[in-house]
Amino acid sequence: MGNKQVTFKEEQLEEYQDCTFFTRKEILRLHRRFRELAPNLIPLDYTNSPDITLPSCLITSMPELKENPFRQRIVETFSEDGKGNLSFNDFMDMLSILSEMVPLELKMIYAFKIYDFNKDGFLCEKDVEETVARLTGKELRLEERRLVAQRIMEEADLDGDGKLSLLDFKNMIWKAPDFISLFHIRI
Amino acid sequence: MRRMSVFPSGTSLGNLGLTANVLQQEDENNTSELVSELANLSDRARIQAIRSLPMSYDERRRIRSRAISVKTSKNIFNIDCSQQVSRSFRRFGASVASARQWLVVWHGTLKEIGGRFGTSVLSYFLFLKWLLKFNVFSLIINFCFITIPQIVHAPNISNVTGFRGLELLTGVGYFNQTVLFYGGYNGEVIVSKPPYNMQLAYFFTIAAYLVLCGVSLIYSMSRSFQKNFVLESGPVSGGAWRLLCSWDFSVVNEKAIQNNKNNLGTQLKESLSERLQMKHTMSMSERMKYLSLHVLAWLLSLGLAVGSCAGIYFLGIDQLTSSLNHNPNDLTAEASTLLLPVVVSLINLIVPLLYSLISIMERYSNPRAKIYISITRNVVLKMSILGILCYYWLNSVPENMVCWESFVGQSVYRLLIIDFIFCLFGTFFGEFLRNVIGTTCAPSLGVPEFDIARNVLDLIYAQTLAWIGIYFSPLLPVMQVIKLLIIFYMKKVSLSMNCQPPKHTGRAAQMQTVFIALLFFPSFVGALSMVAYTVWSLKPSKYCGPFQGLQTPFHTILSWTVYIQNLPGTYWVWWIFENVLRNELFYYLVTLIILVITYFLWQITQGRKELIRTLRQQIVNEGKDKAFLLNQLQNTQKQRRQMASFRYQEFDQTLHFNPNWINTLPLDM
Repeated sequence: MGNKQVTFKEEQLEEYQDCTFFTRKEILRLHRRFRELAPNLIPLDYTNSPDITLPSCLITSMPELKENPFRQRIVETFSEDGKGNLSFNDFMDMLSILSEMVPLELKMIYAFKIYDFNKDGFLCEKDVEETVARLTGKELRLEERRLVAQRIMEEADLDGDGKLSLLDFKNMIWKAPDFISLFHIRI
Repeated sequence: MRRMSVFPSGTSLGNLGLTANVLQQEDENNTSELVSELANLSDRARIQAIRSLPMSYDERRRIRSRAISVKTSKNIFNIDCSQQVSRSFRRFGASVASARQWLVVWHGTLKEIGGRFGTSVLSYFLFLKWLLKFNVFSLIINFCFITIPQIVHAPNISNVTGFRGLELLTGVGYFNQTVLFYGGYNGEVIVSKPPYNMQLAYFFTIAAYLVLCGVSLIYSMSRSFQKNFVLESGPVSGGAWRLLCSWDFSVVNEKAIQNNKNNLGTQLKESLSERLQMKHTMSMSERMKYLSLHVLAWLLSLGLAVGSCAGIYFLGIDQLTSSLNHNPNDLTAEASTLLLPVVVSLINLIVPLLYSLISIMERYSNPRAKIYISITRNVVLKMSILGILCYYWLNSVPENMVCWESFVGQSVYRLLIIDFIFCLFGTFFGEFLRNVIGTTCAPSLGVPEFDIARNVLDLIYAQTLAWIGIYFSPLLPVMQVIKLLIIFYMKKVSLSMNCQPPKHTGRAAQMQTVFIALLFFPSFVGALSMVAYTVWSLKPSKYCGPFQGLQTPFHTILSWTVYIQNLPGTYWVWWIFENVLRNELFYYLVTLIILVITYFLWQITQGRKELIRTLRQQIVNEGKDKAFLLNQLQNTQKQRRQMASFRYQEFDQTLHFNPNWINTLPLDM
């Protein structure tokens, strides 16, 4: 049917559809967006799955992420090397988790990872303080931020070990049902 | 590594010195278990399970291919065609989902609105889109099943008046005998192969549409309730965590994000200061004062509502008598029929403002109570206005008019149009002028916020009118569709030009559930009961409409069942209709069973709440146990280390022979 450039093989598309929450059309659209970030680096033809990653500065220049206070953490969480370099698979994974068809369980796990700044698997008080700092900008002074972080630890830490595990985090999110619709980036 | 490791490196368990080999073995076992579990699931369930795995994409892909190969190796002899069938079904489902995306209108616009104003304002536009779907569906089925047959076999129209411009507003005159209103239809059986009974078509189309609406509303309401109202058990947590979780990730506009940061900071400061100062308990006299203020405010609101209803009723009666006496070609008399809708819309505009003034003098324990009470008052006002109008239409009008259903249809039409015009003016004055005033003349007022509750209640009011009017005017959804489309674009433009995002965005999800519930309970149920009363008990007009000459419109069904009874082979339909659906005992039994089931489910919920409380307590206890055991472990380790170093010291000393031992003896020996 003419010389239509094929981006993905049929099996690749099926694989993408089975492993993420996107449909075929959305996957092709995402590939276009990914290419737009660096047209010279990303080939149109992905049939042999080239292993090309884009650095985090390019990804965070996307309009959907540009102003997000957590953009660097989001990109780091979904990258294989932990430094923010995303391949197309990671890029699609990131946008799939942040889309709206995802169950609450999965969103909670990744939100926990994003808020965990020191990557130790727990949200300690410093992590919470950093989150508060990013969400309020210059509005709160240092002591106020610390006070807020302490209050949150008191409310959320059930087993009293001074840090929030994934279970504590999940428990708190159940009480804020808005979360699933707010933790959502439209692409 | 993106995986959540079983032993995070921070704990002391992680430092127990398990070798890398052991951990890898553990991982491999877990993966094989996962793969074999996945291979046993059906295709659809497997896809869902794979999508929900919290791993990186490449790992998911590997697990998927392993699971598929295990599954195909198991089924190697077997049912290859059933796999083909299921795969083709899945492909078909995926292509349907893709095709459905073509029908998603306004995707870019909604994304832009969400990006600048956040999710709660976006919920208004999503609500509007949802209502639009209802109306488009109704339009399509009414048009196909009722209007097209009637247009093709047009009845003889008696006096036809020419088209003047006023019809667009009042709906009478030229429109009177068209298919727009009830009077334009007749109930003949269209002779064709097969014969098409217009009466049955009219009845069943409207009934089917209302039933489908009801089912869809109940479904949405229960889904929304399940998602958004969680079991509030355990210690009542304060606002700080909830505020953190209310950060809207979909906002992309820089200024909006800065605004959100400022708002969040302010709210956090407020909640901190609330906690720091001691909450003073109010004295008895203060409490009595506030209670009496509340009672006074409620009395005033209800009084205003009752007064408006009485005014509308008497105005309506007055209009009725004057309209019976006027010459049909008199333009001014026709224009005066617009007086009632204008008065209704004015009341809908002014009284809520009075309500907000009244609520200034009251004091509420939390801002959420304030919003709910204001919504309740507005809903009471709007529903009582609609109730009094329905009473007037169903009681006073049928005795006095010849073709009363068309009259009711035209009244609804007029109400909808005038409401639309007032909505346009309201947006202009309420938002545009207020913005101008707020930025130039009185900067202290500031830019107006987009009032979601008021706008949603307006939409619900208009939709109730549309549902009431659907029996009397089958093509009314046309007007509603056009109106909703224009309102969408107008509100979007006004939003971008004039408003700022709302400051307090708490509980947007619960408000969404409340709005859907309001759409179902007073709005849809009220409209349905009015239509049901009309169909069941009122005598239709004798000379116009599809049900002319019958005792009640419901008699069509009765005569149809008699006809069916005489047909061979369909006795069971008649039997079900006569003995099950028309029998009251059946409904009593069904109600009793539903009540019993509800009671059981309620008891289960109570039991689960208790279980949650116990489990929470158990977590706290386990935490204490863990802290205690860790402490013990550390103490034991410290002791062991101390003992080891002590022994080493002893051993050390015996080797150090002091050659000056003789000088260490006491001198007086």
